[in-house]
Amino acid sequence: MGHKRLNPARSVSHPPFHLWGCGESDSPESEATRIPLSPTQVRSATPASVWTPAEQKPSLGAAQGSLNSQREPAQQRPLRLEAPSRSAPSKGSTSCQRGRSGRARLHGDRSERRARGPSLDLSSGTRGKESLVRVNGTQSLLRGPCLTMLSRVVCSAAAAAAPRLKNAALLGPGVLQATRIFHTGQPSLAPLPPLPEHGGKVRLGLIPEEFFQFLYPKTGVTGPYVLGTGLILYFLSKEIYVITAETFSAISVIGLLVYVVKKYGASIGEFADKLNEQKIAQLEEVKQASIKQIQDAIDTEKSQQALVQKRHYLFDVQRNNIAMALELTYRERLHRVHREVKNRLDYHISVQNMMRRKEQDHMINWVEKHVVQSISAQQEKETIAKCIADLKLLAKKAQAQPVL
Amino acid sequence: MASVVPVKEKKLMDVKLGELPSWILMRDFTPKGIAGAFQRGYYRYYNKYVNVKRGGVAGISMVLAAYVLFNYCRCYKELKHERLHKYH
Repeated sequence: MGHKRLNPARSVSHPPFHLWGCGESDSPESEATRIPLSPTQVRSATPASVWTPAEQKPSLGAAQGSLNSQREPAQQRPLRLEAPSRSAPSKGSTSCQRGRSGRARLHGDRSERRARGPSLDLSSGTRGKESLVRVNGTQSLLRGPCLTMLSRVVCSAAAAAAPRLKNAALLGPGVLQATRIFHTGQPSLAPLPPLPEHGGKVRLGLIPEEFFQFLYPKTGVTGPYVLGTGLILYFLSKEIYVITAETFSAISVIGLLVYVVKKYGASIGEFADKLNEQKIAQLEEVKQASIKQIQDAIDTEKSQQALVQKRHYLFDVQRNNIAMALELTYRERLHRVHREVKNRLDYHISVQNMMRRKEQDHMINWVEKHVVQSISAQQEKETIAKCIADLKLLAKKAQAQPVL
Repeated sequence: MASVVPVKEKKLMDVKLGELPSWILMRDFTPKGIAGAFQRGYYRYYNKYVNVKRGGVAGISMVLAAYVLFNYCRCYKELKHERLHKYH
């Protein structure tokens, strides 16, 4: 009789073990199957709504100061910077004046541009407190630069430097006058146009191109030159211009200046342009750094938001772990119960077996003893004699057989 | 003749000859107005020839030439005596 085997049946009341996760919360089609401790398959969660920079409010306006982007809702507007205009011989006052205006342009603030007016005296290089207080007093100032820009923009489509006056009559009084507002009108609040690339064209370094265009219809190309020559000869002959010793010094000085400008003008211009470009590059760098910073913040924020969507994975993992631990302890205890019960039952079985064996042995001994006791001496002799006779017979038979 | 824009709002070159007196009288001759006129003129020249990305020598050379001319006119009275010939 062997040992009995016990198979403890699983209690029906134990809840089925299933794993959370597998995109369960995202997609409803995942069923809760009994997965015996297989690793959870992580499905890619549906991407959160992409927050493009286009939807971003123009919150860059918070950055006051050196960047011009506050008035430009789109980030692609070019940075408007004023570069100090280059000139071969730079007078001290004009350079400082240029520097002031350069800074004004760099800041790009409208109020500062308006407030640049009152500082007329060239010698004072102080910036002054150009604040918004001055806006009211210098509104009239705005017309000048705005007018120039507007008129240049309007008429650049027509001739390059055509006399606006003459052409205006041709186009009609109403059309163009609408664009040329007198300076007592309201200043426009549109953003400033970018700096012009080149200044007004000037011939011989002295006479603006408009004068030549003014005379062109009547006298052709050589008109102004003939006029100039005639005037010079007239002044000399009538001695309205008197030739003195200073004339020769003036001739030498002017000749020297012309030579210097002609020879080194371009290189000095390039040098100044390089300086400007460096400044612009610096500011552009700052702007790009700021943009990049903000973009990084945006990306971080987006990733954080995306992470929030995936939080459920954490909880699913924790739940899975807990469930596995519970199942583990359950099985462990089940196994222990099984072992203990088997132990007890084995004990009883072994006790029974042992008792049985003892009984058998005892009975056998008792039977043998009594049998042995029951054999008397007489019976023993008879049995022995019979045995000997049998043996003799067997011996004879055995001898007879090999002969055959 | 009737104009589309009131006389007050026109620039000098657009004003017709008949309207000139009224236009001149309309102008602001207070000190503030005159200062404003100087400012405007200054900024007009400045923004055309100096406040550009790639200026040239024209920006200040015109100013210097005008200065020279102005001083010559101022000194003409004394210079008249240094003429080389008496009769022209």
